[in-house]
Amino acid sequence: MNSLCPVTPFVAFVALMQSVVEFDNVGLRYGAGVETLTDISFTLYPGSFHFLTGASGAGKTSLLKLLYLAHRPSRGAMRMFGHDTITLPRDRLPGFRRRIGVVFQDFRLVVHLSTFDNIALPLRIAGVQEKDLRGPVTEMLAWIGLTERADARPATLSGGEQQRGAIARAVIGRPELLVADEPTGNVDPEMARRLLQLFAALNKLGTTVVVATHDIHLLQEIEGAQMMRLDKGRLSDPTGSLRHPPRPLVLDN
Amino acid sequence: MLLDFALPEHDRKLIPEGRLSGPMPWVIAIMLFLTLLVAAAGLTLAEAARQGGQDLARHVTVQIIEADPAQRAAQRAAVTRALRKLDSIAEVKPVPDADVRALLEPWLGTGVIDADVPVPALVDVRFGSVPTAETITRLQSTLRSVAPNIRVDSHSSWMAPFFELMRALLWLAAAMFLLLLVATSAVVILAVRSTLNTHRETIEIMHMMGGTDVQAARLFQRRVALDALLGGIVGFIVAAVVIMTVGDRFAAVEPGLLSGAHFPYYGWAILAFIPLAVMALAMLMARMTVISALKRII
Repeated sequence: MNSLCPVTPFVAFVALMQSVVEFDNVGLRYGAGVETLTDISFTLYPGSFHFLTGASGAGKTSLLKLLYLAHRPSRGAMRMFGHDTITLPRDRLPGFRRRIGVVFQDFRLVVHLSTFDNIALPLRIAGVQEKDLRGPVTEMLAWIGLTERADARPATLSGGEQQRGAIARAVIGRPELLVADEPTGNVDPEMARRLLQLFAALNKLGTTVVVATHDIHLLQEIEGAQMMRLDKGRLSDPTGSLRHPPRPLVLDN
Repeated sequence: MLLDFALPEHDRKLIPEGRLSGPMPWVIAIMLFLTLLVAAAGLTLAEAARQGGQDLARHVTVQIIEADPAQRAAQRAAVTRALRKLDSIAEVKPVPDADVRALLEPWLGTGVIDADVPVPALVDVRFGSVPTAETITRLQSTLRSVAPNIRVDSHSSWMAPFFELMRALLWLAAAMFLLLLVATSAVVILAVRSTLNTHRETIEIMHMMGGTDVQAARLFQRRVALDALLGGIVGFIVAAVVIMTVGDRFAAVEPGLLSGAHFPYYGWAILAFIPLAVMALAMLMARMTVISALKRII
């Protein structure tokens, strides 16, 4: 496996960096049922871009839930931002969650809030002052083309508009890890391309991106993106680089 | 915790506040109305027991039992003089024979008193401070030197069962007060749980974005505090009207056992404090309920 990994300055740099996410034989089981995820092992590095694919029911959403700390694994080891998140005290989780942006498959915009307030929500939760958040939120609204709908409630937005609002909410806080569940499912191809550009721009700034999608053609839109494929709760990555990251052995060379 | 009451407008929007639209403020108003009435009754009883008890405990009645009216009058004058010489006694009031006869006439009929039934002469005595049993015994022996057949009756002894009853009623009022507070807390907990279920989605989203339990709890605390405040104001106003109306009826009652039974002025300060205390209690209950419910989700 080592011979498959070319020793480049980039690879050496990546190996030195602290990983954003590290899964080691992680399993997830809901209640007493069968395991939804089995023996998941991978490492995500800062600034990497990943597509997570797999058939419906393969466990994509469950894996994303682990990534955005909605659940803890039933077994295995899981580290995020250099900390063991399995033994992490519950009161420290909010601090970690603030470093993660999430685009939910069903958008999950707060129905009582306007588009502006929904997008501003992560900043307000993080304690950003009103005067400091107005500019970025307005800019984000313009970027996703919802300036005119800033005061609209989610119920009056179309599916595509809600999805754009959900994406804007996920990225407004410049997260270190962005997790998106089918983020382009409800938008036209042009808007899908624009949203992916937004993800790519964030990725260039250092954000690690994981996008769950059925559309494998999206892979071509992002240069250097890697694919993680889930099959019946097990991870199978075609490149092999994710399960066996080119770390210490490469450096030893 | 009370500082959490003030939330920015955008945070308030997260859990819409349908003021007076839900049953919660009205339920709190009713609970608080009952709590305030019980508290007012308890305060009135306590005040009556305190005033009446102090007053009665300082009074004794000296009975001069002598069949001969002339000797009885002479002994009453001697007893009165002897009593007035004592420093511990604040007031000595011989009860006129006419008053004694008026007291007995409803039972014995007119014209028979003195002719057929000799009645004792009475002297009402008020001590400067509450006398001990020893003081009364000493007084009795002092007075026997001027009037051999006297009896000293302490008012507190024959009123003891009445004050026992008042004390029992006070405990009952305190127990009812506590029970009503427990019931109010239960109402708040149920209301918060119901609201939490309604807004579970919003709370979960906040959680996923890094919202803390305390941030979520603040939203509920504020809502509950507003409901409790509105309920408290309504409950207090209605209770105040009832207390003043009943107070007027008490004032119209002839002096007697109920003469000390009036609502004390300091009681209004205590009653005004109760809605604020209930509001703080409701906020605390809301906070504890939300935080304990949120601990069940990661």
